[in-house]
Amino acid sequence: MAEYIDDDVLVCRCEEITAGEIREAIRMGATDVTGVKRRTRAGMGLCQGRTCEALVQQILRQELKGEATPESIGFSTPRTPQRPVTFGTLGGDDL
Amino acid sequence: MSAYDVIVIGGGVIGTSCAYHLVKKGYKVALIEKGDIASGTSSHCDAAAMITDKMPGADAALGYASIQKFIRLSKELDYDFNFDQSGSLYVCETDQEVEVATGYVNALRAEGYRVKMVDPYEMSQIEPLLAKDLKGGFWSDECAGLNPFKLCYAFVEQVKGKGLDVFLHTKVTGVRLNEKHQVEGVDTDKGSFTTGRVINCGGVYAPEIGRLNGLNIPILPRKGVILLSEATGPVCHQKVQEFGYMVTKFANVECDRDPELLKYNVAFTLEPTEGDNVMLGSSRNFVGYNLNTEIEVINAIAKRGMRFFPILKNMSCVRAYAGVRPFVEDHLPIMSEVEEMPGYYICAGHEGDGISMSPVSGQLMTQLIAGEETELDMEPFRFSRIENRFLD
Ligand SMILES: Cc1cc2nc3c(=O)[nH]c(=O)nc-3n(C[C@H](O)[C@H](O)[C@H](O)COP(=O)(O)OP(=O)(O)OC[C@H]3O[C@@H](n4cnc5c(N)ncnc54)[C@H](O)[C@@H]3O)c2cc1C
Repeated sequence: MAEYIDDDVLVCRCEEITAGEIREAIRMGATDVTGVKRRTRAGMGLCQGRTCEALVQQILRQELKGEATPESIGFSTPRTPQRPVTFGTLGGDDL
Repeated sequence: MSAYDVIVIGGGVIGTSCAYHLVKKGYKVALIEKGDIASGTSSHCDAAAMITDKMPGADAALGYASIQKFIRLSKELDYDFNFDQSGSLYVCETDQEVEVATGYVNALRAEGYRVKMVDPYEMSQIEPLLAKDLKGGFWSDECAGLNPFKLCYAFVEQVKGKGLDVFLHTKVTGVRLNEKHQVEGVDTDKGSFTTGRVINCGGVYAPEIGRLNGLNIPILPRKGVILLSEATGPVCHQKVQEFGYMVTKFANVECDRDPELLKYNVAFTLEPTEGDNVMLGSSRNFVGYNLNTEIEVINAIAKRGMRFFPILKNMSCVRAYAGVRPFVEDHLPIMSEVEEMPGYYICAGHEGDGISMSPVSGQLMTQLIAGEETELDMEPFRFSRIENRFLD
């Protein structure tokens, strides 16, 4: 069992979201990575969850205990672009 | 089997608003949502609450009434949904657009709304980073922005456990009627409920839910793609969009458009978020329910964005996403009881305006259910206006 992450630990560094805020989102009804993201912004920053997703999954697993499976906790929906890219490149003809 | 006064199907912005307003009126309500709160269109969208993207008449009246309610709700609801009455600016690329826009603005003004034409100089004062070669535009200080999924949470959190029970990850599989065709209950994949009244707030899925009872609810998914920027600091201060947006939305607004834009029905919109990102949109297509973000559409939206805000060129896009608007042919939502099935209500089909119209929609449905006089005339929103409303 992974160790307990204290409430004041910053989980999402881009958006500065703590483990406590993530637990609050779970109390509000979040049962998956996307639900946590919408309620807290965790994973909405520049890195789009590439850094914090595993920690969010871990907290979900711990808080939801038997009710959660890796499938139900899920991933953040993979989106285009794979990494940040300028609008100039996206709108250019050199795609 | 639990019993409720009203069961609301669908936890998007429309269902959560209905649930909130019903509980405020004293009803015992269950909200049943097949996924999470705001997992449908209400989290795959922009979130401007505007008058200046509505048609004069019933459409604009809904938009205006909702903004007044948002002002109140932003104080009344404990959960902050980032309401900001920052105004909105439309910009015109051609003289023809300025001419058509002037007619539109005059029609709104005749109905008493605060909106005015602005010249290129005033535009550059309002939004300094805007391209300099535009012909004119119009501005309204009544329009506002907010966070759409936080609004859903705000409606739910305020009344949850105080008259509202929420059932997430629970899919409605049937609405039970008695021999007189009156609603008597709701079946789900997790069990049954007893109720005399149900509201179908399924958005683009309202037709699927309606089919369970032989209803033909003519709502089509009209897709739109949005590009989200990195957190950048201010690019624009309010919702900014091109007048061509009105052409893409309404079949009766006519201006010449670049054929390249018509291909994906792309029109420029830009919206600041509370996270200091901007959301760049968008497109309008009937391509079913898939939420793929096609590279050609992304390409067209990015290009169009740089046309109006050249500064975007060197800014980064961190994600692209798509949503489907619940479209009704006459551009008015269906907010009505199904006369032939007492107790079966529909509140769906708000197309590109569901966030904006949510407060007043919830209020109107509550007044309908309570048998009170409604704040607006409900005639334009009746289900019976639909010709083939029953499946054979
Ligand atoms: C790109 C884009 C931009 C937009 N911009 C704006 C804007 O600036 N301003 C504005 O006002 N509007 C805007 N909109 C429109 C707005 O997002 C929609 O009108 C609104 O979200 C519709 O809300 P809804 O509650 O009707 O539908 P949804 O949010 O889709 O809610 C319906 C819910 O019903 C649930 N459901 C379906 N079937 C069942 C079932 N059998 N059992 C239980 N639950 C079920 C679904 O899971 C879903 O959560 C935009 C839309 C898009 C796509």
